[in-house]
Amino acid sequence: MTKKAESTLVFWIFLAPALFAFIMVMVIPFFLGSYYAFTNWTSSARADNALRFVGLKNFVDSLRDPAFLYSFGITFVYTILNMVAINVVAFALALLVTGNLRFKNVYRVGFFVPNLIGGIILGYIWQFIFNNAVPSLGTLIPGLGFLADPDKLLLSKNTSALAAMVIVGTWQYAGYIMMIYVAAIENIPQELIEAAKIDGASQWIRLKSITIPLCAQAFTVTMFLTLVNSFKQFDVNVSLTSGGPSTMLMGKPILGTELLALNIYNTAFISNKLSEAQARAFVFFLVLAIISIIQVYVNKRREIEL
Amino acid sequence: MKRIALVFMVLLTVSAAFGAGKLTLMQNKPEIDAQLKAYAAAWGQKNGVTVVVKSIGGTSGGMGPQLKADYAAGDMPDIFAFDGLESYKEWEGLILDLSKEPWVSKTSVAFKYNGKVYGFPVAVEGWGMAYNADLLAKAGIDPKTLTSYDAYKKAFEKLDSMKDKLGINAVVSMAASVEMGWVTAHHNFNSLLSNGLPYGDLSVTNDLLAGKVDAQRLQEYADWVELLFKYADKTILLTGNYDAQVGAFATGKTVFLHQGNWVDPNLKAANATFKMGFAPHGSMKKVTDGIFVAAPSFYAINKESKNVALAKKFLNDLVTTPEGNQYMVKEAGMIPAFSGVNLNPDGQLSKSVQEWAAAGKVYSWNQYYFSGDFRDKVLTPIYNQFAAGKISKAQFVELMTKAFKDNAQK
Repeated sequence: MTKKAESTLVFWIFLAPALFAFIMVMVIPFFLGSYYAFTNWTSSARADNALRFVGLKNFVDSLRDPAFLYSFGITFVYTILNMVAINVVAFALALLVTGNLRFKNVYRVGFFVPNLIGGIILGYIWQFIFNNAVPSLGTLIPGLGFLADPDKLLLSKNTSALAAMVIVGTWQYAGYIMMIYVAAIENIPQELIEAAKIDGASQWIRLKSITIPLCAQAFTVTMFLTLVNSFKQFDVNVSLTSGGPSTMLMGKPILGTELLALNIYNTAFISNKLSEAQARAFVFFLVLAIISIIQVYVNKRREIEL
Repeated sequence: MKRIALVFMVLLTVSAAFGAGKLTLMQNKPEIDAQLKAYAAAWGQKNGVTVVVKSIGGTSGGMGPQLKADYAAGDMPDIFAFDGLESYKEWEGLILDLSKEPWVSKTSVAFKYNGKVYGFPVAVEGWGMAYNADLLAKAGIDPKTLTSYDAYKKAFEKLDSMKDKLGINAVVSMAASVEMGWVTAHHNFNSLLSNGLPYGDLSVTNDLLAGKVDAQRLQEYADWVELLFKYADKTILLTGNYDAQVGAFATGKTVFLHQGNWVDPNLKAANATFKMGFAPHGSMKKVTDGIFVAAPSFYAINKESKNVALAKKFLNDLVTTPEGNQYMVKEAGMIPAFSGVNLNPDGQLSKSVQEWAAAGKVYSWNQYYFSGDFRDKVLTPIYNQFAAGKISKAQFVELMTKAFKDNAQK
């Protein structure tokens, strides 16, 4: 065996486990799932269990369900709020910890740590904070009595519960995005900033005309990450609100903070409609793919090559 | 070549399959997980088999996803729990007929369908309005009188006016958030279905399933729901989880708790030493002197299992061996569903359920005749809207009526 052939073989053998896993848990389920979306598949032993092709029925049923349409809307709102909140906070933190701050490495670690806590646990921790810690603050501190008012609890209304989810999402994710911004900011050539200083540019002008344009590549990455992650939000949603509180749409009470991923899960496992959930997941994939391609395209055009 | 050989070795080791000759049980009560595992290990040693116990709890759907995943993977457990007709239908093709098992004659609450027995009752459970007897005595209210809407209304008003004297925050600990939909849309909902009817009477249930709504009964039920929500601790009602709900009762901050006897271990852990018991639901104007008692879940044997004989023996031994009885009643603290088991659980509320059952004052659990979809996705938000004060009682009745009609048309 020649040296070259051997290294090619080794290359493929080392790649094999990852490739095997990718095909088994991503490629095959994707195509199998897309196929099931057009059938009456249930993955259970019902009496009338024969697998039948049902055409577009699952898609039509999904689009007729107010809860699914509502989930779509609320997911868009959540994604936009979350993207803005995370990126603004993360960029501000990045500016902070790249400046002349003492203990800045401690801050960097501190801001990053929430990202290492799993979403389910994070949801329960914040549920405790919103439902127990905040109201007890209200009873302890005289001027803050309104915090203990059950009607004013963040998780008691669907609009404020959505805001609560944005708070938790930002708390969890801003530190991670901050790290990307830190790397980008530290890569900006110092001579540009020094030249601008000599020209008398104020701090705001330097930020607006040098730092932000030169971080455009980072923005492409962070926008993509926050967009996809917010759109796919599931674990915090489950543990923090379980989709509640309820709200009304088209004269029907529905769950008020049920994001798309949770709606798909509930359709599959509470309503026992696995194939309809597959159809929803397929729509979900298409929409997310289109939005992220547009986002990357728009962001790419703003990037500057030095 | 050595490197290649090494890589192959690693791959082979990783993919090596192992393990055979085991009995798998999947059940839905995580609170008895440790006790069941200990019993199963001892039983397995005696019978020369490894018993694997998987416990997955939670609200509706809890165990379902895992069971479906295991089924799709060809790894269906030999014994698995299901909770009633709707989940039975989900697995109809797989559930073994157990009509000829020796334990069948010893129980009245086995799961039956078309005259055949398909489910081994795991335990007997019950709920009503759990009350703090000490606080009621202080307020001069006899729990025996709490059997109708009017009695509850008077009692709640009186207790509410004595809040400071009794040191309570609210009269009732009730939860109506979406996460706690099983309290409203499963347990409380059952008052509408079976309160005041003979045990096993499905007339109201079948009418509602067919979209026929008894307006009078629904109206009285709506009064009851309104009463519960009105005198509930509002923070717990809107945002509380299980711990918050049970905790308020355990610490004497409320007089009543809308839960069942499964809270006994939680109350013990919280050092609640006051006297307590169950009173009936007051969902009707007429007197309804009984609480809701039934088997909450059943063990089914997988027809396609290779260990059917062992699985049958496992279930039978729970009933017929002293070790099995000891586990069910003393270790797991469950009320046995079988005659001939002469042990009693220690929890006060479990004892109360046994007393009601012994007196024959029981109403059935009919909520499982409605799908999980209907209860969790249709009813839960209606209760939640009502609890939050976003809809009036009239709208509540209207939405419930519409929900039953829509459900019947599916």
